[in-house]
Amino acid sequence: MALAVAVLLAATAQVGRAGDVEAGRQKSALCAACHGPDGNATAPGVPSIAGQPNFFTHWQLIKYRDGRRKDPQMSAPAQNLSDTDMADLAAFYEAQRPRPRGSKTEPARVAEGRRLAALHHCTSCHRPDLSGQQQVPRLAGQDLDYLLKLLRSFKAKTATDLDGLMTMSAQPLHDEDIVNLVHFLASLGAETP
Amino acid sequence: MRHTVLTSLAVVLGLGLLVAALADAQAPPTWKQGQPANMADSTLAPIPQPPAPKAAAEIPVDKIKVPPGFKVSLWASGINNARVMTWGDKGTLFVSSRTAGNLYAVVDKGGQREVKQLAKGLNLPNGLAFKDGTLYVAEIHRITKMVGIEDKLDAPPAMEVVYDTLPKDVPHGWKYLAFGPDGKLYFNIGAPCNICIPPDTHANISRVNPDGTGFEYFAHGVRNSVGFDWHPVTKELYFATHARDWLGEDLPSDRLDVAAKKGLHFGFPFCHQGDTPDPEFGKGRSCGEFATPLLKTGPHVAGNGVEFYTGSMFPAAYKNRIFLAQRGSWNRSQKIGFRVMMVTLNPGGAPTYEPFAEGWLQGGDIWGRPVYTRQMKDGSLLISDDYAGAIFRVTYQP
Repeated sequence: MALAVAVLLAATAQVGRAGDVEAGRQKSALCAACHGPDGNATAPGVPSIAGQPNFFTHWQLIKYRDGRRKDPQMSAPAQNLSDTDMADLAAFYEAQRPRPRGSKTEPARVAEGRRLAALHHCTSCHRPDLSGQQQVPRLAGQDLDYLLKLLRSFKAKTATDLDGLMTMSAQPLHDEDIVNLVHFLASLGAETP
Repeated sequence: MRHTVLTSLAVVLGLGLLVAALADAQAPPTWKQGQPANMADSTLAPIPQPPAPKAAAEIPVDKIKVPPGFKVSLWASGINNARVMTWGDKGTLFVSSRTAGNLYAVVDKGGQREVKQLAKGLNLPNGLAFKDGTLYVAEIHRITKMVGIEDKLDAPPAMEVVYDTLPKDVPHGWKYLAFGPDGKLYFNIGAPCNICIPPDTHANISRVNPDGTGFEYFAHGVRNSVGFDWHPVTKELYFATHARDWLGEDLPSDRLDVAAKKGLHFGFPFCHQGDTPDPEFGKGRSCGEFATPLLKTGPHVAGNGVEFYTGSMFPAAYKNRIFLAQRGSWNRSQKIGFRVMMVTLNPGGAPTYEPFAEGWLQGGDIWGRPVYTRQMKDGSLLISDDYAGAIFRVTYQP
């Protein structure tokens, strides 16, 4: 993990006006209402954003502001964010420690989901421990309801990703596979071993 | 930055026909597709696109080296993901982006450049062309136009559809766009994969009339060409192509080609660099069936912008030379590219191929990626950088 952290920091440092963690904390009050004060949400269906890679959070905010990703809660507040706000928020949430959501998972589904995650190459981009990297989100320990809704949306081609990669990856999945996969992802400890 | 760098916009598999064909095959993500089993643990992966441009003060323009007598300055910055540049009739520089989804106008106001955002949320709007007061924009799935845009920069007109009978595949779906000498709009439809038998609607350079009629394929077997231009004298099409990944550090070479006529096939996916059959798809085919490259431009260099120099500022020998902007490699342990090369065509002989501007790559680290060039009216040369979000200007004084 030390190496991964170093790599992410190096990557962040290359983006000119690097985000400022403290400034991000100051700007996070509105986000905290749903995502929690440190980015660890508790309401089912709301994703935790603590520990998400800087690039991931920043790109998602850009997409909400531009209307390429739409959400009843996120679309409006994103309109008011400047590029600097986004950089600061992304830096702040990357610096927060992710905690498991404690979603209820079924062992049989977790086992099958683990097999499917390898079969469908989830770990190629999301990393072997599903902790994410760069613009690719952390999935380990994420809220089960949120993952379920999002993966079904990718399957239905109604969710947008920057590159079409998730839409493509979701196409071979049957709904039963999706359920099993998200049980596995939600079962993982949020903190990287 | 060698490790674990992934771009969302790497070569990724198609959403259309391919998905159906591969639905049960558990295809890997497209950037990993074609990776041999013995490289499964490779840490090579596409370089991620930063979400924000670099601040002017953090752009080390002095690191860019050019030949004696030439000088490089930072012309504009803060243009997130700056890609294709094209001039309006009244001196506006229109600039596209790819991942950022934005369209910009840069207006020169007494030595200060003002950047206006004309549109956002577009579908990888890489291609831009301008003619008779109208700006044409190529996204993945459509070509649109903005009529009279230069008089309406602060309240841009609607984007009217010119042509949208196009594949929606994201991988290699972003387009270059340019007017040919025949007045038609030329653009690429890339292969929706790293290596595959593409649907016969893909892996080509196509053209359509500016009113959306008369669509036709112009060149076939072109994996992905996102930069081309026409020779100022012969009017032939010259284009750069990115070659496939995962065949090795030094294979296959990217290429610069010339298409003197319609209908030629340039080899993809059967034959690479004119002489190397694909280990899987080359079986039963011969490289002799296909057009050979004018120039092998190097493995993984990612040649993007192609532009003939027609200005008068640079020395006379530069006339009709080609500037080839190379965005640089990811599928190679020693990075290569990240420079603007210069190609001098020698009638009857091999072209001369040499660096013109380099220095974005320092040791194993990059701080920017040169991606397209565009001449200014005075004959100086602009270079866009989609990683630093900046535009540089190269001038010459003897």
